[in-house]
Amino acid sequence: MLEKKVTVHLKNGLHARPAAQFVKTATSFKSSISITKDKDYINAKSVMGVMALAVTKGEEVIILADGPDENEAITTLEEFLIGGDND
Amino acid sequence: MFKKWFGNKTNHHEEVIMAPLNGEVIPLEQVPDPTFSEKMLGDGVAIVPRDGLVVSPVKGEVVQLFSTKHAIGIRSEKGLEILIHVGLETVSMNGEGFESYVSKGDRVTVGQPVIRFSLETVRENAKSTITPIVITNPEFINSIQIETNKEVRASETPIMMITMKE
Repeated sequence: MLEKKVTVHLKNGLHARPAAQFVKTATSFKSSISITKDKDYINAKSVMGVMALAVTKGEEVIILADGPDENEAITTLEEFLIGGDND
Repeated sequence: MFKKWFGNKTNHHEEVIMAPLNGEVIPLEQVPDPTFSEKMLGDGVAIVPRDGLVVSPVKGEVVQLFSTKHAIGIRSEKGLEILIHVGLETVSMNGEGFESYVSKGDRVTVGQPVIRFSLETVRENAKSTITPIVITNPEFINSIQIETNKEVRASETPIMMITMKE
């Protein structure tokens, strides 16, 4: 299992379009992936779950991946959350 | 089709979603935002609102309410997750013109007011007042029946009937 702390730089945080893209990206991996902001671990493959976290720009989240492609999953999702092209 | 929905009691694999707003129902494909028209967040319909009151379309629980109060997620008792996104590009309004009557975790019934917004403020400051209503957990859905291009009344007119996977 891998864990990574990331500061979100998406302009509108993880809302609507970026949330959909984040979930779509997470779903493309075999590993089970979760994301947390403070205490609740949310399934990163659930649109409503990810939107419910209400992550805004500048906030820190932790992503966890567990499975055969966990390395790639963490790297890809980290790049997504840092990158500013998707908001 | 809608008369039939009212006439027959739905079985436990079906769920009727009532209109959360007064307005005209349009197909999701006509929403000028690919996040919704390409169904990135899920399948559903959109309403062109006539006024600014949003009510719960189902009996269930508020599972998400964005801090800017322009979007709400409600999970029905049967497990469908319904996202109501008031207007397009309304996130950038930072909550101006929006107020909410509920919080995350609250239980709601059909017709219970959840959000009130200023139609004027949204019209002036956002891309559109068009309000998509989508089901965000497609893994629960077998099929969705919708009827578009007609006027609906909040909590009175059904907008979708969903047959769930067994």
